[in-house]
Amino acid sequence: MRRANEIKKDTEEIETVEDLTSVFESLASTQVAKIKNKVQMSQDFFNLLWGKYISLRVDSDSQITRRQKEDNGRDVYVMISAEAGLSGDIDLRLIETVLRGYDPKTTDIIVLGTHGAQQLKQRGIHYVGYYKVPMTDTYVDVSPIVEAIRHYRHVKIYFEEYVSLGAQDIKTIDLIQQIQTMTKDAEGSSEVISDQETIFEPSLDEIADIMEDAMMSLAFSQAILESGLAQDASRFSAMSVAKKRAMELVSLYKLEYHRSKRADNDRRMREVMISIKRKERARANA
Amino acid sequence: MADTEQKTKILHVQARAPFEVYYQGDAYSITGANKVGKFDILPGHSDFFTIINPDSEVVIQTDTEDITIQVANGIITVKDDEVLLFLNI
Repeated sequence: MRRANEIKKDTEEIETVEDLTSVFESLASTQVAKIKNKVQMSQDFFNLLWGKYISLRVDSDSQITRRQKEDNGRDVYVMISAEAGLSGDIDLRLIETVLRGYDPKTTDIIVLGTHGAQQLKQRGIHYVGYYKVPMTDTYVDVSPIVEAIRHYRHVKIYFEEYVSLGAQDIKTIDLIQQIQTMTKDAEGSSEVISDQETIFEPSLDEIADIMEDAMMSLAFSQAILESGLAQDASRFSAMSVAKKRAMELVSLYKLEYHRSKRADNDRRMREVMISIKRKERARANA
Repeated sequence: MADTEQKTKILHVQARAPFEVYYQGDAYSITGANKVGKFDILPGHSDFFTIINPDSEVVIQTDTEDITIQVANGIITVKDDEVLLFLNI
């Protein structure tokens, strides 16, 4: 059995870990609430912009698919990971999903987030681009990434999706295909905005081009936000588990400490009794 | 009748960025600038779709104040006095 002093020292260390995990848990919880609000605002904005875009009478094949005629013949996987660790195993699950369909002969990888880049390096996987997750409290600037993916045939985004505080999934979207499908689905519906009754400055085509770029950027921003939400939720779960484990350990150590103390007392008592008996025996023999 | 006339003299405005609502409510006019030049949107304006000049400002005149918004870029749409400003996209 370990000595009571050693157990007491270990207990104090575990109590510090418990306090730290509690702080991280609270931070993650606050962050989840904050990002959830941003995701909702961004979704509302996207829906409003989308409503206007689909009202423009521009043929979706002549617009978005035009990108495909200028492509470099390769596909790109964009992997949105965390900037830092302490978010459980979610980044590892993300990398495993990305690598499942990855063929370096036909596909490039662009990675967002330091943690994901480090993990890919450790596995010896080459990536053509690395960006820090471009997030601030007010603005997500994805223009460098949109520029980097512009010439690819297919763009698949892999990111972590928030399901609930306790559950996160890996989600994949084919960016260009998704916008084309949404546009085709929307054709023939809603209000019509044409140059017959609307003034376009500078021109309908230029406006449609800018709106498409904006929607690509927004779709990207939403994936980044969603991913951040999932990472914070995963961090919250990991910290909750760590805190629970630390609390269990503290209880066990306290129990062990008391047992050790009692054992110490029993041993001393035994030693005293033996000593008394020895003296009594010595006195009787004398 | 007078009420109806009053209502037609108001623009219904939503000015928002992906993560921020700058203004939502009624306004008397909106001033901005595009490639063609400076423009004002007043109640009864024709249906209109434009790209705002990069790094310019938009002024929304309400009954209590003039709200000036610095924008990196954006699009303004007007249809039946409903004005949507998509800013910093």
